[in-house]
Amino acid sequence: MSTLATIECERLNASAETAVNPAVLNLPLGLLGFEAVKHYIVLQNPDEQPFMWLQMTEAPKQAFLIIPPSAVVPDYRPELGDDDVEFLRLESPNDAVIVNIVTLRTGSSSTVNLRGPIVFNRHTRIGKQVIPMNASRFALQHPLPALA
Amino acid sequence: MLILCRKINESIVIDGTITVKVLRIDGDQVRLGIQAPSDVPVHRHEVYEEIQRNNREAATHVRPDVPRLSPLLRPASTPIPASPPKPTTQTTEKPTPTSAAPANPASAAAPVTAAPCAI
Repeated sequence: MSTLATIECERLNASAETAVNPAVLNLPLGLLGFEAVKHYIVLQNPDEQPFMWLQMTEAPKQAFLIIPPSAVVPDYRPELGDDDVEFLRLESPNDAVIVNIVTLRTGSSSTVNLRGPIVFNRHTRIGKQVIPMNASRFALQHPLPALA
Repeated sequence: MLILCRKINESIVIDGTITVKVLRIDGDQVRLGIQAPSDVPVHRHEVYEEIQRNNREAATHVRPDVPRLSPLLRPASTPIPASPPKPTTQTTEKPTPTSAAPANPASAAAPVTAAPCAI
């Protein structure tokens, strides 16, 4: 049985050959601090699961390491405001795919941002980095449960 | 910075499309209602800033090796819920967090098809 991360990857991408034919994801508002960049692709390497790379398809062509929150915390429930639900046209929780940005640092101090998740509508592939209504419950820099 | 003084229930309008209204003043706390088009993000400044900073630190031009995760914290059965759409009760007020509702337990086998979980 696939892990949840794999299932989400499959749903995010149009094709099974993710590295060869990745689907473009549209962030109309960009990411906070990178508002001008609207288009990304998700790159997956099976060896890197559950991590994925969110790669800008336009300048400055930077990438973000991302991870489904289920790989990091057991019960992640960001509460989306009405405006975010409306913006993403989420008709049910099933429409949403959530990933979180990982900050890699040397040593074992890498962290995950649980306070500002990226939420995608799995059907439209439109996403937004949201600040949930219960953002203060989540860590901006949650330690990544990495093996030493 | 443009400085304006407003009393309760008075508003300001930005760019003809964004309205900020003073709803309540409680001691040193001001409750503001913001009406803006849905493609205009509105955030508390300090949270916006810290996430922006975090994003900038996370952005990379290279793709280094990813860490190996501790397998104990990879529950494959837990879906990733997002809150279901909430009924809008006031159009001029940003929704305030509701009291916690019991979350539905995750279905062990179904990926992301669990019943809506609300907080």
